Amino acid sequence: MVDVFSTPIVVMMILGAVGMALPVINVLRREQGSNTFYAAIAFGALAAAIAFVLHQLAMGYVSATDVLSGDVIADDMLGSFFAIAMLIVAVFTTISSFSYMRGKKYPAVYYSLILLSTIGMVMVAYSNDLVVLFVAWELMSIPTYVLVGFNKRDPASNEAAIKYFMFGALASAVIIYAISIAYGLTGTTDIGGVIAGLGAIDASLVPLALLSGGLFIAGFGFKMGLVPFHMWLPDTYEGSPPPVAALLAAGTKKAGFAAAIRIVVIGMAALSIDWSLALAIIAVMTMTVGNVAAIMQKSISRMLAYSSIGHAGYILIGLAVAPYSASALPGTLLHVLNHAVMKGAAFVAIAGLVVALAATHIEKLRGLGRRMPITAIGITVSLLALAGVPPLNGFWSKLVLFGAAIDAGQEVFWGPWLAIAGVLNSALSLAYYGWIIRKMYFEDEAKAPRVHEPRAVVAVMLFSIAFIVGLGVYPEPAIEFARSAAPLVGIMP
Amino acid sequence: MADPTFVALSVLTIASAIAALELRSLIYGAIALMGTLGGIAGFFLLLDSPFVAMFQIAVYVGSIAVLILFTVMLVRRELIFQKVEDTRRKWAGIGLMLAAMASLGAVVISSGIDAITTAEPAVDFRDIGADFLTTYWPALIMMGLVLAGAVIGAMMLARREDIENDQRTS
Repeated sequence: MVDVFSTPIVVMMILGAVGMALPVINVLRREQGSNTFYAAIAFGALAAAIAFVLHQLAMGYVSATDVLSGDVIADDMLGSFFAIAMLIVAVFTTISSFSYMRGKKYPAVYYSLILLSTIGMVMVAYSNDLVVLFVAWELMSIPTYVLVGFNKRDPASNEAAIKYFMFGALASAVIIYAISIAYGLTGTTDIGGVIAGLGAIDASLVPLALLSGGLFIAGFGFKMGLVPFHMWLPDTYEGSPPPVAALLAAGTKKAGFAAAIRIVVIGMAALSIDWSLALAIIAVMTMTVGNVAAIMQKSISRMLAYSSIGHAGYILIGLAVAPYSASALPGTLLHVLNHAVMKGAAFVAIAGLVVALAATHIEKLRGLGRRMPITAIGITVSLLALAGVPPLNGFWSKLVLFGAAIDAGQEVFWGPWLAIAGVLNSALSLAYYGWIIRKMYFEDEAKAPRVHEPRAVVAVMLFSIAFIVGLGVYPEPAIEFARSAAPLVGIMP
Repeated sequence: MADPTFVALSVLTIASAIAALELRSLIYGAIALMGTLGGIAGFFLLLDSPFVAMFQIAVYVGSIAVLILFTVMLVRRELIFQKVEDTRRKWAGIGLMLAAMASLGAVVISSGIDAITTAEPAVDFRDIGADFLTTYWPALIMMGLVLAGAVIGAMMLARREDIENDQRTS
């Protein structure tokens, strides 16, 4: 039985209690407004949750990554790593909503749903059983369907919500189909048990095991934004409130990777089933489609949406070469953490733009370097980090990822080609990131007046710049943490 | 030779699912959906899971389908949908569905799934309940949170802002 005082349970209790209390407080106070009040409570809960996870890590109460523990929830390093990344993103979302939600209706519901969705993401990362994983997946998804459509009067928000809901429901159906096949073949829902059971099945049933693996990849791939399951993503990120887009791009997407690492990668290595070439092809398609489409966008939120499709491709490189290189999964985890902060910061900056200028069109960014200096620096640093420019943190995670792909070249011929595709795509992405930076700093004819930058956005920008530059200059602690959290996958001969 | 009960249930389930999607009237669509959900309950009975079958009937056919019927009757239909006909997309969708069904079906049929037999008796519902309160208690709490989140979100989305508060309470 799961210990009541284990990390995931305590995090669930803190966030769940506050998430349930917010709407009740709203009813008792008999008022609509006071966004700051609810935001502060939600922020306090998230800060307490992060503090608890860090405390558990510092005290050494967290076990090494283990899918075979037999419990439905594993209080392990892998889960804690993802939990920290997701909680940071939830904090970003909450802080940027301080200014975004000002004057909007139903703040209590808004923050309550953010907390509930965060519990779902964290529990996906910790779950060690397919039933728990699926319930956590739904807990993560359902609140975000509402959050995406939160601007009820905005047709773009409605369209985003409908598309996201349809694809989300389809993804859930695909996952449950995969779970039912895995359960049917092995008679258990424990992930360790499923992996062991699939290793011992009759040869005639192997096609079904492969089908189950493929359906898992497809189901998780919807949330991760892998090509060809990415169609919903740009419309949804563009139509949803920008802080929510940050939560989706940097949070729920990572939950897909957490689930994929637990099931697909570990299962793949344990079964010696060769999914890696398929994953490699999807990785190349995903990064290329994302980056090529990003170049053609006129809206910065759409551009970032496509760029996050591209980054899903980079992260997938790590999953594809995981059976052949020991540094693949650490690279994946490192890029997940870095991308969460980089992309989260970029979307929070967009939330600031929407509040201050009511615009996301790239032409409107002209002269931003003078009009909103801190936001512009935040955008610049996060875009350069996304492109992988040294000495920022994105450079190191890409280095480890692409290095792992070259490493894998000793076993599989296509390994180095993945690295080449990654480097070419990074160069391509620098083109459109550079275009935005040029608009902000070198095109300023109108001499529009300086605007007030929302303080909440400034706070997130300063934190992100410190994080991105700090881990860029001194990356060892993050690399070490990623290495300790990555599960040991049997390296294929 | 396939079991006639299975064939009859499959025809009922699939035909009423198509009807639920295609019927112009939302009311008939909702009633057809009840047929689909009832057919699935029949599959559970065939699979020796009477408890799940009863749940399927009580929850899905009994309450959810009725809830949908009520919603359809209470909401003015012309406000929700604007019909857009796109024949090419329709055929592309049908083609994609048939391709997916054929490939999934081929994998399942060609595998040795018929050979799997289990000597274990049908799971007792007491065991399911006990599992939820012991091994799966975190999942039970999360399900509570899922439902709470769904209700909170649905109330926010469904709330009409053109009616003032005092009108609503009076």
